[in-house]
Amino acid sequence: MIKIKYWATLLMLVTITPLKAEVMDVTLHYVGPTEGGVWLGVQQGLNEANIQGEFLGQRYSLQVISEQELAQLDAGSVTALLLATGSEKILATAKTEKFAHVPVFNMVSDMDSLRSACLPNLLNISASNKMKQDAVAQMLAKYPDSKAHAHGWHKDFKKFAASQLNSRFTKTQGAIMDDDAWAGWAAVKLLSDTIARTQSMDGPVVLQYLKNDIAFDGQKGAGSTFRDSGQLRQLVLLIENNKIVAEAPLRGVKGGLDSLGLKHCKLESK
Amino acid sequence: MKLKQIFLASLVLVSASAWADPTYRLFVTNEKSNTVSVIDTRTGKLETTLAIGDRPRGIGLSPDHKTLYVALSEENAIAMVDVATLEILGKLPAGDDPETFDVHPNGNLYLSNEDDAKASVINPTTGKIIHEIKVGIEPEGVAVSPDGSIVLVTSESTNMVHIIDTTNHKVVANILVAARPRGLAFNSDGSLAYVSSEIGNEVAIIDVKKREIIKKVVIDLAKSKPMALVLSPDDKTLYMTTGRASKVAILDAKTLELKSTADVGKRVWGAVLSRDGSTLYTANGVSHTVSVVDTASSKSVMEIEVGKFPWGLALDD
Repeated sequence: MIKIKYWATLLMLVTITPLKAEVMDVTLHYVGPTEGGVWLGVQQGLNEANIQGEFLGQRYSLQVISEQELAQLDAGSVTALLLATGSEKILATAKTEKFAHVPVFNMVSDMDSLRSACLPNLLNISASNKMKQDAVAQMLAKYPDSKAHAHGWHKDFKKFAASQLNSRFTKTQGAIMDDDAWAGWAAVKLLSDTIARTQSMDGPVVLQYLKNDIAFDGQKGAGSTFRDSGQLRQLVLLIENNKIVAEAPLRGVKGGLDSLGLKHCKLESK
Repeated sequence: MKLKQIFLASLVLVSASAWADPTYRLFVTNEKSNTVSVIDTRTGKLETTLAIGDRPRGIGLSPDHKTLYVALSEENAIAMVDVATLEILGKLPAGDDPETFDVHPNGNLYLSNEDDAKASVINPTTGKIIHEIKVGIEPEGVAVSPDGSIVLVTSESTNMVHIIDTTNHKVVANILVAARPRGLAFNSDGSLAYVSSEIGNEVAIIDVKKREIIKKVVIDLAKSKPMALVLSPDDKTLYMTTGRASKVAILDAKTLELKSTADVGKRVWGAVLSRDGSTLYTANGVSHTVSVVDTASSKSVMEIEVGKFPWGLALDD
């Protein structure tokens, strides 16, 4: 009897609430090369966003635009700008008044000036130059002879389900995932995670969620958040002879992820 | 004899013939030793170690407890072991990278294929994969409802719990939860489901009929990364393993309040509870041990050495 009642309810629910009838069509604007690491990363991110979207009712597409078209773009219709241009162009775009409340993603530049500018709409996905320098310094403090250099990602990274990401990226894109490819993938995933949760593709709503509420699973461990400098907090890998030798922050270093790079832009950017 | 009594009497007969006597064996998959440790829970001693195959992770028993199933991630197969004789009976094809599974009351296995964004249904009698269901990226946890009507699957990278109707194998609902959902557990009547989120460090209660989250909490425990969930037989207490925190979090199943913790070995992953709810066993990945927790006192009373990187547990009691 209980079972029959249960089934009746279940059937009713199926008929009353079909799966997401209305689909959101989300267009992301991209400026940058249409080949190479960051491009492949963005493509992978889109594939995965569309897998998630199939279940949750979003359809993602990418609109590749030139720098000229960017200048003419109506900011009100923009969910996010994905930039893989030179650092000066990225900075200038983020400073453009019409994009003041639109999330502007820097997917390629590690320049510290893009972090210390402390622009509220600029989101720096890759590890900054200073984060990488601090990672190497932590390594040298522990192992003075180390010749390791720092990277945001590596094809052999396995922890935190990184191996799954590396393997599905290579399977789909036919290339290894490098720093730029990870940043491209992460930028799109940050957006699709945000849009799925906010059910909004409005630029300012998306920006607020990204800056204040996200705990992002970038397959690099703890839930990632943004600093007020717009830098995504993340671990940095130390690589020697193309092998991962350590992860920064190194064990025992105080401050966790904030031991890497500019901590509080307001104090240090003076 | 009244009808009800006849019914009860026949039930007893059926169960007597269908269920084997319990062996009280605890089976543990050792991910990096490619073995299954067999522990006699009455003595706490390691009885034997079975060479099982490449990268064993998910583990479970057939409804009659006669057969043990072990997912071999790197062999794309499920190994079958006779629970009484410990003879390895053979292997079932399981699709790409089988990770975890649950066994339906009808005997079929529902499993997650981590690299393929799908769930597969295997009929162990015919050895055939009878259905494949598209789910989100990196499917992980699988739980069949007590009555077998639905199956839940978590997809870790797309942060969802999928509800699958087992009559037509269609995804009927998707529920967004905190980042990297892993473990699942149903309460005894199947009205509620619990889900843990590793990166979100959260546990949530889903109302199964309404298909929505009715409560969620962030776990207030240093280094906690929520993994396996087990509910006490009276549905009142939720046990959750916490990975790097090396503790079992003991929560009020209704309020999700953290009542206490039990210290166990390092990097605790899988967990299983004795049928009477008195003893919880945990697989401690980095310690290479199984902890035996007395649930009345919330204390670990024994730690048993097993193989390298123990992952999952199944108990025949």
